[in-house]
Amino acid sequence: MPSLTREAHCCHLVVESVRSSAGRSFFLSETRGFLPGLEGPALASGSVEILTKIHKRKTGRPFRDGIMFRAHVSVRTMRQLFKAGFRVDWELAGLQRHTGAVRWKSNTRPAPVLTAAPLRSLVDEPVSIRGHLLPPRCPVTLCARMHSDEGDLWESFAHYNANESGVFCLTSDPSVGGSYVGCQPMGLFWSMQPAPGGREGLRLRKKNVEAPFTVRISLLEGHVSPSRGQLNELAAVSTERWYVAPEVKRIDIRQNGIVGTLLVPPGPGPFPALLDLWGMGGGLLEYRSSLLASKGYVSLSLAYFGHKDLPGPPDRFTVGDSYFKAAFQLLQDHPQVVSDRVGIIGLSFGSYLALRIATIPGVKPSCLVCINGPVGSTWSVTDSDGMTEHFDSFQNYWNFDDEGRVIFKEVSLPANLPPDSIVQLEKLDCPVMYIVGEDDLSASSIENADLIEERLRSAGKSHLFTRLSYPGAGHLIEPPYSPSVRSSMWSVKPKKLITLWGGHPAPHAAAQEDAWNKILDYFEENLRS
Amino acid sequence: MMEEKQCCVTLSVQPSRGLVDEKFIVLVQNALPSSQLTIRALHQCEDGHSWHSFAHYTSDATGAVNVSEDCSVGGTYTGVEAMGLLWSLKPVPGSKAGLRMRKKNVLAPMVVTISVYQGHLSEGFGNQEPLAGVEVERWYMAPGVRRIPVTEDGLTATLFLPSGPGPFPGLLDLWGGGGQLVEYRAALLASHGIATMALDYLTCKYTMETGTFVKQDYFETAYKFLQKHPKVLSSRMAMLGLSLGTSITLRMAVCSEVTKFRCAVCISGSHIQPMDGFLKETLDYFFRNSGKTRFTKDDEVIWRDLLLPIPSDPSLKVDVGKLQCPLMLIVGEDDQNWCTYESAMDMKAMMERAGNSHLLTLLSYPNAGHLIEPPYTPHVRASVFRDVQSRQKLMALWGGQTLEHSRAQEDAWRKLLVFLRTNLYGGVKPGASSLSNL
Repeated sequence: MPSLTREAHCCHLVVESVRSSAGRSFFLSETRGFLPGLEGPALASGSVEILTKIHKRKTGRPFRDGIMFRAHVSVRTMRQLFKAGFRVDWELAGLQRHTGAVRWKSNTRPAPVLTAAPLRSLVDEPVSIRGHLLPPRCPVTLCARMHSDEGDLWESFAHYNANESGVFCLTSDPSVGGSYVGCQPMGLFWSMQPAPGGREGLRLRKKNVEAPFTVRISLLEGHVSPSRGQLNELAAVSTERWYVAPEVKRIDIRQNGIVGTLLVPPGPGPFPALLDLWGMGGGLLEYRSSLLASKGYVSLSLAYFGHKDLPGPPDRFTVGDSYFKAAFQLLQDHPQVVSDRVGIIGLSFGSYLALRIATIPGVKPSCLVCINGPVGSTWSVTDSDGMTEHFDSFQNYWNFDDEGRVIFKEVSLPANLPPDSIVQLEKLDCPVMYIVGEDDLSASSIENADLIEERLRSAGKSHLFTRLSYPGAGHLIEPPYSPSVRSSMWSVKPKKLITLWGGHPAPHAAAQEDAWNKILDYFEENLRS
Repeated sequence: MMEEKQCCVTLSVQPSRGLVDEKFIVLVQNALPSSQLTIRALHQCEDGHSWHSFAHYTSDATGAVNVSEDCSVGGTYTGVEAMGLLWSLKPVPGSKAGLRMRKKNVLAPMVVTISVYQGHLSEGFGNQEPLAGVEVERWYMAPGVRRIPVTEDGLTATLFLPSGPGPFPGLLDLWGGGGQLVEYRAALLASHGIATMALDYLTCKYTMETGTFVKQDYFETAYKFLQKHPKVLSSRMAMLGLSLGTSITLRMAVCSEVTKFRCAVCISGSHIQPMDGFLKETLDYFFRNSGKTRFTKDDEVIWRDLLLPIPSDPSLKVDVGKLQCPLMLIVGEDDQNWCTYESAMDMKAMMERAGNSHLLTLLSYPNAGHLIEPPYTPHVRASVFRDVQSRQKLMALWGGQTLEHSRAQEDAWRKLLVFLRTNLYGGVKPGASSLSNL
């Protein structure tokens, strides 16, 4: 037997005679697709090629009626061939399915190749994944793995079948199983979930926006589930997913009491600008504004709650309208910003803030994008300092599911909102795009969208309103192709609390992709032309 | 006239992060319709020198320019040239003479600033604010490629392993008479799935310490090191040499009992060398012929005559008739440094006489010079060269006309990759006269 290193994936047999000692003929079967381990005299193969008739072998013994062919067989089938009395000469390649420790060395069939293009891309750019040099109709599993900034492992997998030419391509072929099914070119990216055994309640959010995520995509043979043990990797490719285009500048902002991060595109400018607001999860998230800066907008991610550099305790709301006005003006006054081309994008409570800021006297944004947020607030954003409502004090409208996960949805039902907190929507003078995830469990998005639409209509301002509504999408409609979660850890103190965001993976991913493209077009229209 | 500063002109380059041999699309949008625009690329090298290129366009009715489709009417290139901004890069005015762009640190990308200006400018770019600008990264290493310095077995080398489980075919990568350990081509080949080891053989540790040149066993050691690496397919080895590296490659492919290559690629080199010696004797042979050196009126050194006329004495040439693996020869017909074309013709004739010319693939490019490098890297017709033996610095004339040389680089690289893939990844053992060796 030749030495045993795994190299490639098909077996070459040189059959010395088509007539066995028992006088039986050996027939090459019709191709019936790849079926390793097939019993019986037939060889199942995607492509049985009769290469040539050899007349003389290396050892000098002549062939008689020799036919050499290339086929895909398992060890078991070959044993049957021996039993049937065939002499088989080995110069073997690897096997489609090796059995245990038996591996075959090849210097014939090349190893499969997995490609991804582009290898380095922005997180909102699609990647084209292809495999070739596989055996025809070979079943494969693609597995994607990456580590978050915190070191948590996220992964996904999908089952594909190569075509007659041994090629598969994610932009045109369907997944037949795994983390997603159907034709989903970016499915491996958005369907990633925390790997089993990891920490509870994870959500993927890029903290260090200046370094990319590295996603390693591997090609495994057969239709397997990667989490079950070490499986045989045929090929792998690493791709980098970036939140910043080259030379986007990141600047910490701690001035005039404003806590934020400014992301500035490369180039001389001037540029239109965006104020970027997230929800009551607090902190300072830069990953959306980094992408917006990569598209040519000076973007300011603004912290307003739950950040150590903000005044007051982290669980209190301590800033008012003057804070947001100052942040908006910071953008307008920036030397590289066109001061009358500043918009606002907000998700969840950030959506409320966007609407509210747009009605502050003297503040005139060019447009607003509001995602899944309320028109009012259970805690007031006042002009005075020292707002002291404790976030958790308004638990009247919290609901819990069977597993004790909190559903915030009813908190933002218009009927439950303090009337004097509701934004004076009829005063809005700029275009507003409101994006609804119809399966939003964290905010009553549909009802709030209806309210905005109605109020604007009464004020004769319907032309300002654009609504996007996505069935099956949840609360966290974020830039596309990133993994989404239906629930995640909301707080750990005073007790561990997981919140339900809603959304189902495939429709949520589709919503993110569509919404992001429409958001970018909206900004082009309203901020650049 | 006061230009109104708009914020709507956008300039995009896709991909903004690409491999050095990948194409990109440069797009200007929302400029004034039918207006004159200049697109300029600026790059500052690791050594601090600046290179630039520029091209003159007219925006269409929508105010757009697409460099891949539109025609440049002036600048450092003209016509429809998707990658012209890179391959036509030249040292900025006022730079010192004889510069050559070579990436030393392959772990970091080459960063190019691409800007668009109003009007058709040819100078004074520093005095005018561009309408828009972006930064583009050009990488020699794909994500996941590993760079491993090698000092075992007395070698001075760097190994680049492709990403993935492997194992991979192996390739020894050699440069020419300037010495040093030049890594960028090896990094790029690894990004294409070949475990590639760049080998310093002129200024390696052994030579620097002993003052003597390496012999054949140095390269055999390098071959064996690569071959036995757990991520390398021992039966799928190749060698690639440029200039003096060609001399070594041909010698090893034909004469060494140890090195068994699936294929070899020789760029801008020759088979002429004294067969009763090795590297030292080859360099001495050049030195003895140095009287044939010519000079241009600008004192650029032309060395192409040193090995001419092609000797008929077989002891002065590698007998390529004995070659048993496919060979790709890449030749610039305007090579002023080596008599590459004449050597290639002689090699071809030798192989035809010996009956192994089916192994030869000859790529010959009119008006291409000596330094046929990976595509889209700028062409220089002459540059400062430090001779390894004499330690003298002079201006070597490499030859080539920028446009044709750049086309040659692009075409040769593509064919070189196909050649390597076919022979290193391919099915049937190449050159085998019977299929029994499968």
